[in-house]
Amino acid sequence: MIGLISSLVIPAVLLSAGMLMFRRGEYFNAFVKGAMDGLKCTAELVPTMVILISALYMFTKGGAAELLTRLFTPLCESLRLPAEIVPLAVTRPVSGSAATATFASLLEVCGADSYPAITAAIMMGSSDTLVYVIAVYFSKTRVKSTVRVFAIAAIGSLLCLFLSSVLARVFFLGDCI
Amino acid sequence: MLGKCFFLICVISVAASVFTGNVSALSDAVLEGAARGVELVLTMAGMMCLWGGIMEVFRTAGALEKLSRLLSPILKRIFPKAFSTGVGKEEIIATVSANMLGISSAATPFALKAMEKLDEVNDIPHTASDDMVTLAVLGCSSISLFPTTVIALRHAAGSAAPYSVVVPIWICSLICTASVLLLCSLTRRKNRGQL
Repeated sequence: MIGLISSLVIPAVLLSAGMLMFRRGEYFNAFVKGAMDGLKCTAELVPTMVILISALYMFTKGGAAELLTRLFTPLCESLRLPAEIVPLAVTRPVSGSAATATFASLLEVCGADSYPAITAAIMMGSSDTLVYVIAVYFSKTRVKSTVRVFAIAAIGSLLCLFLSSVLARVFFLGDCI
Repeated sequence: MLGKCFFLICVISVAASVFTGNVSALSDAVLEGAARGVELVLTMAGMMCLWGGIMEVFRTAGALEKLSRLLSPILKRIFPKAFSTGVGKEEIIATVSANMLGISSAATPFALKAMEKLDEVNDIPHTASDDMVTLAVLGCSSISLFPTTVIALRHAAGSAAPYSVVVPIWICSLICTASVLLLCSLTRRKNRGQL
Protein backbone atom coordinates (compact mmCIF):
# COMPACT_ATOMS: atom_id res chain seq x y z
CA MET A 1 0.00 0.00 0.00
CA ILE A 2 2.70 2.44 1.06
CA GLY A 3 4.79 1.27 -1.87
CA LEU A 4 1.91 2.01 -4.22
CA ILE A 5 1.39 5.51 -2.79
CA SER A 6 5.12 6.19 -3.00
CA SER A 7 5.25 5.15 -6.62
CA LEU A 8 2.16 7.22 -7.48
CA VAL A 9 3.42 10.44 -5.90
CA ILE A 10 5.97 11.20 -8.60
CA PRO A 11 3.78 10.60 -11.66
CA ALA A 12 1.04 12.67 -10.02
CA VAL A 13 3.42 15.57 -9.39
CA LEU A 14 4.79 15.38 -12.93
CA LEU A 15 1.30 15.17 -14.39
CA SER A 16 0.08 18.24 -12.55
CA ALA A 17 3.20 20.18 -13.55
CA GLY A 18 2.62 19.06 -17.14
CA MET A 19 -0.99 20.20 -16.96
CA LEU A 20 0.10 23.64 -15.79
CA MET A 21 2.60 23.86 -18.63
CA PHE A 22 -0.03 22.72 -21.12
CA ARG A 23 -2.40 25.48 -20.08
CA ARG A 24 0.03 28.36 -20.17
CA GLY A 25 3.27 28.75 -22.08
CA GLU A 26 4.90 30.93 -19.45
CA TYR A 27 5.04 27.97 -17.09
CA PHE A 28 7.48 26.29 -19.40
CA ASN A 29 9.75 29.31 -19.13
CA ALA A 30 9.47 28.96 -15.39
CA PHE A 31 10.52 25.33 -15.74
CA VAL A 32 13.58 26.30 -17.76
CA LYS A 33 14.55 28.94 -15.20
CA GLY A 34 14.12 26.58 -12.26
CA ALA A 35 15.98 23.78 -14.00
CA MET A 36 18.86 26.16 -14.71
CA ASP A 37 18.94 27.15 -11.04
CA GLY A 38 18.93 23.50 -10.02
CA LEU A 39 21.82 22.83 -12.36
CA LYS A 40 23.81 25.80 -11.04
CA CYS A 41 23.12 24.69 -7.49
CA THR A 42 24.44 21.22 -8.33
CA ALA A 43 27.51 22.61 -10.07
CA GLU A 44 28.31 24.65 -6.96
CA LEU A 45 28.31 21.41 -5.02
CA VAL A 46 31.28 20.03 -6.98
CA PRO A 47 34.22 21.55 -5.04
CA THR A 48 32.84 20.68 -1.60
CA MET A 49 31.78 17.23 -2.71
CA VAL A 50 35.20 16.52 -4.18
CA ILE A 51 37.10 17.51 -1.06
CA LEU A 52 34.68 15.78 1.31
CA ILE A 53 34.29 12.59 -0.67
CA SER A 54 38.09 12.33 -0.96
CA ALA A 55 38.36 12.70 2.80
CA LEU A 56 35.58 10.19 3.36
CA TYR A 57 37.22 7.70 1.03
CA MET A 58 40.34 7.99 3.16
CA PHE A 59 38.12 7.52 6.16
CA THR A 60 36.58 4.33 4.78
CA LYS A 61 39.53 2.76 2.99
CA GLY A 62 42.00 3.56 5.76
CA GLY A 63 39.89 1.58 8.22
CA ALA A 64 38.64 4.49 10.35
CA ALA A 65 34.99 3.91 9.43
CA GLU A 66 35.25 0.26 10.38
CA LEU A 67 36.88 1.10 13.70
CA LEU A 68 34.22 3.67 14.46
CA THR A 69 31.45 1.27 13.49
CA ARG A 70 32.95 -1.48 15.63
CA LEU A 71 33.28 0.95 18.53
CA PHE A 72 29.64 1.91 18.36
CA THR A 73 28.16 -1.47 17.49
CA PRO A 74 27.34 -2.52 21.09
CA LEU A 75 25.63 0.79 21.84
CA CYS A 76 23.79 0.86 18.53
CA GLU A 77 22.71 -2.74 18.80
CA SER A 78 21.12 -2.17 22.15
CA LEU A 79 19.23 0.79 20.64
CA ARG A 80 18.45 -1.24 17.49
CA LEU A 81 20.21 1.30 15.28
CA PRO A 82 22.48 0.35 12.39
CA ALA A 83 26.04 1.21 13.53
CA GLU A 84 26.95 2.42 10.03
CA ILE A 85 24.82 5.49 10.58
CA VAL A 86 27.05 6.96 13.32
CA PRO A 87 29.19 9.20 11.03
CA LEU A 88 26.04 10.60 9.41
CA ALA A 89 24.32 11.16 12.74
CA VAL A 90 27.36 13.18 13.82
CA THR A 91 27.66 15.32 10.67
CA ARG A 92 23.94 15.88 10.01
CA PRO A 93 23.38 18.62 12.61
CA VAL A 94 26.70 20.35 11.92
CA SER A 95 27.16 20.75 8.18
CA GLY A 96 24.77 20.25 5.28
CA SER A 97 27.35 19.45 2.62
CA ALA A 98 29.38 17.20 4.93
CA ALA A 99 26.17 15.28 5.65
CA THR A 100 25.40 15.00 1.94
CA ALA A 101 28.86 13.59 1.28
CA THR A 102 28.67 11.21 4.26
CA PHE A 103 25.26 10.03 3.09
CA ALA A 104 26.60 9.44 -0.42
CA SER A 105 29.52 7.37 0.82
CA LEU A 106 27.25 5.39 3.14
CA LEU A 107 25.01 4.53 0.19
CA GLU A 108 28.04 3.32 -1.69
CA VAL A 109 29.52 1.25 1.11
CA CYS A 110 26.30 -0.41 2.31
CA GLY A 111 24.26 -0.44 -0.92
CA ALA A 112 21.46 2.01 -1.69
CA ASP A 113 18.64 -0.28 -0.54
CA SER A 114 20.25 -1.72 2.59
CA TYR A 115 18.82 -1.15 6.05
CA PRO A 116 21.47 1.42 7.11
CA ALA A 117 21.04 3.29 3.81
CA ILE A 118 17.26 3.50 4.11
CA THR A 119 17.52 4.66 7.70
CA ALA A 120 20.03 7.28 6.55
CA ALA A 121 17.77 8.40 3.70
CA ILE A 122 14.78 8.91 5.99
CA MET A 123 16.93 10.79 8.48
CA MET A 124 18.49 12.98 5.77
CA GLY A 125 15.08 13.89 4.41
CA SER A 126 13.42 14.73 7.69
CA SER A 127 16.08 16.64 9.62
CA ASP A 128 18.13 19.74 8.98
CA THR A 129 21.49 21.30 9.77
CA LEU A 130 20.37 22.58 13.15
CA VAL A 131 23.58 24.34 14.18
CA TYR A 132 23.55 26.36 10.97
CA VAL A 133 19.82 27.08 11.04
CA ILE A 134 19.89 28.32 14.63
CA ALA A 135 23.03 30.41 14.07
CA VAL A 136 21.50 32.08 11.01
CA TYR A 137 18.05 32.59 12.49
CA PHE A 138 19.38 34.35 15.57
CA SER A 139 22.16 36.24 13.78
CA LYS A 140 20.26 39.52 13.57
CA THR A 141 18.58 39.45 16.96
CA ARG A 142 19.70 40.57 20.41
CA VAL A 143 19.26 37.07 21.81
CA LYS A 144 22.35 35.76 23.60
CA SER A 145 21.23 32.44 25.05
CA THR A 146 19.94 29.83 22.65
CA VAL A 147 20.22 26.89 25.06
CA ARG A 148 16.50 26.16 25.02
CA VAL A 149 16.33 26.15 21.21
CA PHE A 150 19.39 23.90 20.93
CA ALA A 151 18.06 21.50 23.53
CA ILE A 152 14.68 21.12 21.84
CA ALA A 153 16.21 20.84 18.36
CA ALA A 154 18.74 18.26 19.56
CA ILE A 155 16.01 16.14 21.15
CA GLY A 156 14.15 16.47 17.85
CA SER A 157 17.05 15.16 15.80
CA LEU A 158 17.69 12.26 18.18
CA LEU A 159 14.03 11.34 17.91
CA CYS A 160 14.35 11.61 14.15
CA LEU A 161 17.29 9.19 14.18
CA PHE A 162 15.38 6.54 16.14
CA LEU A 163 12.20 7.00 14.21
CA SER A 164 14.09 6.67 10.93
CA SER A 165 15.43 3.28 11.90
CA VAL A 166 12.01 2.16 13.12
CA LEU A 167 10.34 3.30 9.89
CA ALA A 168 13.06 1.66 7.82
CA ARG A 169 12.39 -1.61 9.61
CA VAL A 170 8.61 -1.33 9.33
CA PHE A 171 8.49 -0.30 5.66
CA PHE A 172 11.43 -2.12 4.17
CA LEU A 173 12.10 -5.18 6.28
CA GLY A 174 8.48 -5.96 7.06
CA ASP A 175 9.43 -5.99 10.72
CA CYS A 176 6.72 -5.13 13.23
CA ILE A 177 8.75 -2.85 15.56
CA MET B 1 33.01 24.77 9.52
CA LEU B 2 33.75 22.63 6.47
CA GLY B 3 37.48 23.25 6.79
CA LYS B 4 37.38 21.97 10.34
CA CYS B 5 35.31 18.95 9.29
CA PHE B 6 37.80 18.13 6.55
CA PHE B 7 40.77 18.44 8.89
CA LEU B 8 39.10 16.27 11.52
CA ILE B 9 38.22 13.54 9.02
CA CYS B 10 41.80 13.58 7.70
CA VAL B 11 43.35 13.31 11.17
CA ILE B 12 41.08 10.45 12.19
CA SER B 13 41.62 8.67 8.87
CA VAL B 14 45.40 8.87 9.09
CA ALA B 15 45.47 7.85 12.73
CA ALA B 16 43.15 4.91 12.10
CA SER B 17 45.08 3.75 9.06
CA VAL B 18 48.33 3.74 11.06
CA PHE B 19 46.53 1.75 13.73
CA THR B 20 45.20 -0.83 11.29
CA GLY B 21 48.39 -0.85 9.15
CA ASN B 22 46.54 0.40 6.11
CA VAL B 23 48.47 3.59 5.29
CA SER B 24 49.19 2.59 1.70
CA ALA B 25 45.48 2.56 0.91
CA LEU B 26 45.10 6.26 1.73
CA SER B 27 46.64 7.83 -1.38
CA ASP B 28 44.65 5.56 -3.67
CA ALA B 29 41.52 6.39 -1.71
CA VAL B 30 42.04 10.14 -2.24
CA LEU B 31 42.41 9.73 -6.00
CA GLU B 32 39.37 7.52 -6.20
CA GLY B 33 37.33 9.79 -3.93
CA ALA B 34 38.03 12.93 -5.95
CA ALA B 35 36.92 11.24 -9.15
CA ARG B 36 33.87 9.77 -7.45
CA GLY B 37 32.90 13.18 -6.06
CA VAL B 38 32.58 14.65 -9.55
CA GLU B 39 30.88 11.52 -10.85
CA LEU B 40 28.33 11.65 -8.08
CA VAL B 41 27.42 15.26 -8.73
CA LEU B 42 27.10 14.48 -12.45
CA THR B 43 24.69 11.62 -11.82
CA MET B 44 22.69 13.87 -9.50
CA ALA B 45 22.62 16.77 -11.97
CA GLY B 46 19.79 15.53 -14.19
CA MET B 47 17.52 14.87 -11.24
CA MET B 48 18.28 18.19 -9.56
CA CYS B 49 17.71 19.98 -12.87
CA LEU B 50 14.32 18.32 -13.50
CA TRP B 51 13.00 18.83 -9.99
CA GLY B 52 14.33 22.35 -9.75
CA GLY B 53 12.32 23.15 -12.86
CA ILE B 54 9.15 21.42 -11.66
CA MET B 55 9.27 23.19 -8.31
CA GLU B 56 9.68 26.50 -10.13
CA VAL B 57 6.56 25.75 -12.20
CA PHE B 58 4.55 25.24 -9.02
CA ARG B 59 6.01 28.37 -7.51
CA THR B 60 5.00 30.49 -10.51
CA ALA B 61 1.56 28.92 -10.37
CA GLY B 62 1.24 30.34 -6.84
CA ALA B 63 1.94 27.24 -4.75
CA LEU B 64 3.61 29.33 -2.07
CA GLU B 65 0.53 31.53 -1.61
CA LYS B 66 -1.84 28.56 -1.60
CA LEU B 67 0.26 26.69 0.91
CA SER B 68 0.46 29.83 3.06
CA ARG B 69 -3.32 30.11 3.13
CA LEU B 70 -3.59 26.43 4.00
CA LEU B 71 -1.05 26.70 6.79
CA SER B 72 -2.14 29.88 8.49
CA PRO B 73 -4.92 28.33 10.63
CA ILE B 74 -2.44 25.75 11.92
CA LEU B 75 0.31 28.30 12.49
CA LYS B 76 -2.13 30.49 14.39
CA ARG B 77 -2.16 27.89 17.16
CA ILE B 78 1.60 27.42 17.11
CA PHE B 79 2.47 31.13 17.24
CA PRO B 80 -0.25 32.58 19.46
CA LYS B 81 1.51 35.83 20.28
CA ALA B 82 2.69 36.74 16.79
CA PHE B 83 -0.79 36.07 15.41
CA SER B 84 -2.66 38.01 18.07
CA THR B 85 -0.42 41.07 17.70
CA GLY B 86 0.15 40.59 13.98
CA VAL B 87 3.87 41.36 14.34
CA GLY B 88 5.92 39.06 12.11
CA LYS B 89 2.86 37.02 11.12
CA GLU B 90 3.32 37.30 7.37
CA GLU B 91 7.01 36.46 7.56
CA ILE B 92 6.40 33.41 9.75
CA ILE B 93 3.87 32.01 7.28
CA ALA B 94 6.23 32.69 4.38
CA THR B 95 9.17 31.04 6.15
CA VAL B 96 7.32 27.85 6.98
CA SER B 97 5.74 27.55 3.51
CA ALA B 98 9.04 28.11 1.71
CA ASN B 99 10.75 25.55 3.97
CA MET B 100 8.07 22.99 3.17
CA LEU B 101 8.50 23.50 -0.55
CA GLY B 102 12.24 23.09 -0.10
CA ILE B 103 13.13 26.60 -1.24
CA SER B 104 15.67 27.40 1.45
CA SER B 105 17.00 30.34 -0.56
CA ALA B 106 13.61 31.99 -0.07
CA ALA B 107 13.01 30.72 3.45
CA THR B 108 16.16 32.18 4.99
CA PRO B 109 15.51 35.88 4.21
CA PHE B 110 11.89 35.49 5.41
CA ALA B 111 13.13 33.83 8.59
CA LEU B 112 15.65 36.59 9.25
CA LYS B 113 12.98 39.25 8.85
CA ALA B 114 10.54 37.33 11.05
CA MET B 115 13.16 36.92 13.77
CA GLU B 116 14.04 40.61 13.65
CA LYS B 117 10.41 41.60 14.07
CA LEU B 118 9.87 39.11 16.88
CA ASP B 119 13.02 40.42 18.54
CA GLU B 120 11.61 43.95 18.55
CA VAL B 121 8.58 42.89 20.58
CA ASN B 122 10.59 40.56 22.80
CA ASP B 123 10.21 41.78 26.38
CA ILE B 124 13.26 39.91 27.73
CA PRO B 125 15.80 40.91 25.07
CA HIS B 126 18.61 38.47 25.76
CA THR B 127 16.64 35.25 25.87
CA ALA B 128 14.59 34.07 22.93
CA SER B 129 10.83 34.59 23.17
CA ASP B 130 8.47 31.63 22.80
CA ASP B 131 7.62 32.45 19.21
CA MET B 132 11.29 32.84 18.33
CA VAL B 133 12.11 29.44 19.82
CA THR B 134 9.23 27.84 17.96
CA LEU B 135 10.23 29.36 14.63
CA ALA B 136 13.87 28.29 14.98
CA VAL B 137 12.88 24.77 16.02
CA LEU B 138 10.47 24.56 13.08
CA GLY B 139 13.31 25.65 10.81
CA CYS B 140 15.46 22.80 12.11
CA SER B 141 12.91 20.03 11.72
CA SER B 142 11.46 21.44 8.51
CA ILE B 143 8.98 19.16 6.84
CA SER B 144 10.05 19.01 3.23
CA LEU B 145 7.41 17.87 0.80
CA PHE B 146 9.95 16.77 -1.72
CA PRO B 147 13.46 15.68 -0.61
CA THR B 148 15.22 16.15 -3.97
CA THR B 149 18.82 15.61 -2.87
CA VAL B 150 18.08 12.39 -1.00
CA ILE B 151 16.26 10.92 -3.99
CA ALA B 152 18.92 12.08 -6.45
CA LEU B 153 21.67 10.49 -4.36
CA ARG B 154 19.71 7.26 -3.96
CA HIS B 155 19.27 7.16 -7.71
CA ALA B 156 22.99 7.84 -8.23
CA ALA B 157 23.85 4.94 -5.92
CA GLY B 158 21.74 2.55 -7.98
CA SER B 159 18.67 2.13 -5.80
CA ALA B 160 15.91 -0.04 -7.26
CA ALA B 161 13.24 2.43 -6.12
CA PRO B 162 14.78 5.83 -5.27
CA TYR B 163 11.38 7.38 -4.50
CA SER B 164 10.25 4.73 -2.04
CA VAL B 165 11.51 6.73 0.94
CA VAL B 166 9.23 9.71 0.29
CA VAL B 167 6.28 8.54 2.39
CA PRO B 168 8.43 7.36 5.35
CA ILE B 169 10.17 10.75 5.25
CA TRP B 170 6.80 12.51 5.49
CA ILE B 171 5.75 10.36 8.42
CA CYS B 172 9.06 10.84 10.18
CA SER B 173 9.14 14.61 9.77
CA LEU B 174 5.50 14.93 10.75
CA ILE B 175 5.99 13.03 14.01
CA CYS B 176 9.29 14.77 14.80
CA THR B 177 7.87 18.22 14.11
CA ALA B 178 4.80 17.53 16.22
CA SER B 179 6.95 16.38 19.13
CA VAL B 180 9.32 19.34 19.05
CA LEU B 181 6.36 21.69 18.88
CA LEU B 182 4.92 19.96 21.92
CA LEU B 183 8.25 20.44 23.69
CA CYS B 184 8.18 24.11 22.74
CA SER B 185 4.77 24.64 24.24
CA LEU B 186 5.67 22.66 27.36
CA THR B 187 8.69 24.87 28.00
CA ARG B 188 6.89 28.15 27.45
CA ARG B 189 8.06 31.05 29.61
CA LYS B 190 4.65 31.43 31.19
CA ASN B 191 4.69 27.85 32.48
CA ARG B 192 8.21 28.22 33.78
CA GLY B 193 7.24 31.43 35.57
CA GLN B 194 4.58 29.56 37.50
CA LEU B 195 6.93 26.78 38.55
